[in-house]
Amino acid sequence: MAATQDLRRRTLAHIPQPLERLIFLSSTRDYNTGLYRHEGLALRFSEEASCEALADCHRDAFNELVAASLRDLVHQLKRYADNSKASLSEFIGAWRELEPYRVAIPAGADSLSSELLFSNLKIALAILETRLMAPWVGKPSASPRPSLVR
Amino acid sequence: MIALTIYLLIGAGLFLFLLVMARRKNTPVEGCGEEFVQARRALRTLQLGLLPANLVERIFDRGDFEYVTAESSREICKLFLAERKRISLIWVGRVRGEIRNLMHFHLGYSRFQSKLSLRTELRLALDFVLLLFACRTLRLWLYLRGPYSAPAMVGIAAGAAARVCRISEQSLEFLNPVAGDSFQNDSTPGGAAI
Repeated sequence: MAATQDLRRRTLAHIPQPLERLIFLSSTRDYNTGLYRHEGLALRFSEEASCEALADCHRDAFNELVAASLRDLVHQLKRYADNSKASLSEFIGAWRELEPYRVAIPAGADSLSSELLFSNLKIALAILETRLMAPWVGKPSASPRPSLVR
Repeated sequence: MIALTIYLLIGAGLFLFLLVMARRKNTPVEGCGEEFVQARRALRTLQLGLLPANLVERIFDRGDFEYVTAESSREICKLFLAERKRISLIWVGRVRGEIRNLMHFHLGYSRFQSKLSLRTELRLALDFVLLLFACRTLRLWLYLRGPYSAPAMVGIAAGAAARVCRISEQSLEFLNPVAGDSFQNDSTPGGAAI
């Protein structure tokens, strides 16, 4: 479909990570109607074609994210947090409390896939938080950590 | 007295059996559209939502567990295992539920519509029974031993469920929209072209 290809080429090519794409595409959805809106795409094609293209790409981003390994998800989440204006601790606090990812899933997504993604994001946030508290966790150290046991 | 009680119990059992059979015979063929739609929905949920290989692989993938064990604290490992256990229990519970929906459909309604051979029907019945048993055992196993305790059983259950779905698809084939070419192919030679 021409609108989908156009969206992928012009807009989504600059958003390489599925997590960022998911958040971006969900932000183009009107929560009152469930319809997607993108002015530029609608002008070039039509409202319907633009809505369908955004919905397709939203579903694709969701499926990619569900299929991502936990390691990959932690990496994506870290990059997303780094690109946001908030500090990592603020970001983690807000995401843990508000769980904004819950409203970012496409309509019609299977509940099990959604649950798996929410669960993985919850663990990824916990891993990032541990790294923030104790930066040496999970990183191979050059020298052994000082031990209290002699 | 004991003999009388036994005869009464047998009589009550036979009466119940006849009651169940009578109820089944009264199943209206014309009015069971809702059951067909539900069976179709169960089939779609299994095929698109619960049995895709990448989803099953993701839920039961040991790679994630190894990553968490290597990279994180013990608390996060515990959290991860609890979460995966929860997800795996949801998965097996939902697979069992949808398989039961399909079985209910086959027991009550599919014979009026489907063109399954006796051999296929017997195979399907055996698959249903084994699959429901496997799901129950797997559920218990996952609950007691965690999400990574029975990878072979997960594979067997997912494979059997996929096989049941393929056979059920034949029974529900008539619900699929008919393509234009099939009308053309069905027309008799020399008949009016559609």
